[in-house]
Amino acid sequence: MTKKFLAALLIAATALTPLAAMAQDPIRLAFLAASSQNGYNDATWQGVQAAAAEAGDVQVEIFDGEFNAATQYAQVEDIIAGGRFDGIIVAPNDTVGIATALEEATKAGLLVASVLFPVGPSLTTMTPQVPGLTVTVASDPTIGATAQANEVIKFCEGKDPCNVVIMIGQLQFPFDNLRYQTMVDTLKPHANIKVVATGEGSYSPDASLTAFQDIIQANPKIDAVLSNADQHLLGVEIALNDAGIPIEPIYLIGGGLNAITVDKIKEGIFDATLSGYPRSEGYYAAQTLIKAKKGETVPNFIDPADLAKNPLVVDKAWLDANPDFKAEWEG
Amino acid sequence: MTDATAKAPMARQRRGWSIADIVREYGVLLIIVLLLVVLTLLSDSFLTPRNLLNILNQSTPLFIVSCALTLVIIGGGFDLSTGAIFGVAAVSAAWIALNVDPYLAMVAAPLIGIVLGTINGVIITAFNVHSFLVTLATSLVYRGMAILVTNGKLIPVRIDEFAWLGRQKLDLGGGVAVNVAVIVMLVFMALIMFILNRTTLGRAIYAVGGNEEAALLSGIRTNLVKIITFAFSGGAAGLAGVITVSRLSMGEPQAGTGLEFEAIAAVILGGTSIMGGAGAIWRSMAGVLLLALIGNGFNILNVNPFFKDLTTGVIIVLAVALAAAGNRR
Repeated sequence: MTKKFLAALLIAATALTPLAAMAQDPIRLAFLAASSQNGYNDATWQGVQAAAAEAGDVQVEIFDGEFNAATQYAQVEDIIAGGRFDGIIVAPNDTVGIATALEEATKAGLLVASVLFPVGPSLTTMTPQVPGLTVTVASDPTIGATAQANEVIKFCEGKDPCNVVIMIGQLQFPFDNLRYQTMVDTLKPHANIKVVATGEGSYSPDASLTAFQDIIQANPKIDAVLSNADQHLLGVEIALNDAGIPIEPIYLIGGGLNAITVDKIKEGIFDATLSGYPRSEGYYAAQTLIKAKKGETVPNFIDPADLAKNPLVVDKAWLDANPDFKAEWEG
Repeated sequence: MTDATAKAPMARQRRGWSIADIVREYGVLLIIVLLLVVLTLLSDSFLTPRNLLNILNQSTPLFIVSCALTLVIIGGGFDLSTGAIFGVAAVSAAWIALNVDPYLAMVAAPLIGIVLGTINGVIITAFNVHSFLVTLATSLVYRGMAILVTNGKLIPVRIDEFAWLGRQKLDLGGGVAVNVAVIVMLVFMALIMFILNRTTLGRAIYAVGGNEEAALLSGIRTNLVKIITFAFSGGAAGLAGVITVSRLSMGEPQAGTGLEFEAIAAVILGGTSIMGGAGAIWRSMAGVLLLALIGNGFNILNVNPFFKDLTTGVIIVLAVALAAAGNRR
């Protein structure tokens, strides 16, 4: 009798084990960083981890995209084939090319979130362009570029000519090209503003230093520098110091809102920066996928800048009024 | 034997110099002169002492790396790890300056470079693997080390004593001031030229690159010579790295990415043989200058950056084709 009871217990336990395991299976999310060796992506990863820790039953892994579109495409294919994950959060290296792979992922039942940029042919369409994509957590690059250019227009009021240098990442990148065109188009109607030069900073202080040193040889009289990245302003600052050109009268606006730039704005060296929230992007993307996996209704577009409730362009006055503000990434 | 075509000039002395000979020997210089004339005509800002010193200053790291890379290539090797060593040395220097001592950081970066370069040389000679493969692999390792030091983030180093190397200028009078880094580069270049042209080691480097077996049979310790060339290359990358991080007051883990290709382009553009055994430091310096002039010209003239790579590529092809055409005659 005892033997029969034990056998029945064993059979019941064996039969129920998969159900038990299923109930305890954590949600597994893959974060496909544009590059794992990059400060912005590192902050996004921290946000993903924070959302996972908060949910409690979520495991996350990071994949290094090496700033290479083909590498990231292959990672999506591997994740689909491996079947280990429930969802993908991608910081795309190529916003158009990876769409096909992500569409395959959604067809395979994976939840997909895109951060920093939307995935698809249009960089200004934030609602999903890939069928089945769960959420895009990003800001429209044209809104930010327009806001930055408007700050320059405000500064240039009463100055004729107002000589402006645009420092952009790399014009070969579609998102940088879009930002650049938006800046130029916004400044164009203002006859007093003259864009005297454009330099490529490649998101590196060193490359920005070289480009700006050359630019000021031909254009020593500069009133404003409009840049899409804070890193570029670090090179610009050194070039101006080296050339003995006073920085204070020149309006310097960057983009990204990193900790180094926040310090520089507080010190009065830089004037402003476009806000950037990489940690929030990762956090909201992971949180949305976790909720979606649990069957909750989720939005298909989140703008972290809206949720942050900070101004789109952060300047010294705002930072002085908010001394406890901490940037989401170091730089 | 100190130049790319040491035997050829003797033959030419017998029959006189033809235009083809001049083009082949000095093609890169002719293009530089042409570019100088064109840029001077197109921009008032180009031919000024300030801009010329600016070009020298911003190209200092590339001058230093290319100078030492010339030794490696003449010695029959290839170094794809210079950019990564540059990165490791730069972030290590930033870390040491911030946490230990700024002066120690300036010394440590070239030493780190020498150690990493020596490791390259030892692996290449011990396992008899082609330097192309070894340095490709070690570049990944070294770049990974740079990432580990910084965790992928920037290291700000706002210390005046440390910025001295990259930013301090020496007044030459008449309103002209030269960066300390440029003087360091000129001293380094003179040292490498002296070693290559005036020492037994220099002759051994040419011999190893020209015919390693013959060099071995003639008693030259070929493996040691190769290791020394890679140590020089690593040390130069470290020196270039600390100059850059000192100038920027910022350690970047991705610093030096692509530097190895720029340096290789400059050396080959100058006319140093990729097959080894022939070449000269002045040629590589001319190659660097040519690349620097193109970049400077584009920025000064505010030309669409889309055309920069295209123009650089066309000029490189032109310079190499001129040399090749001369060789066929």
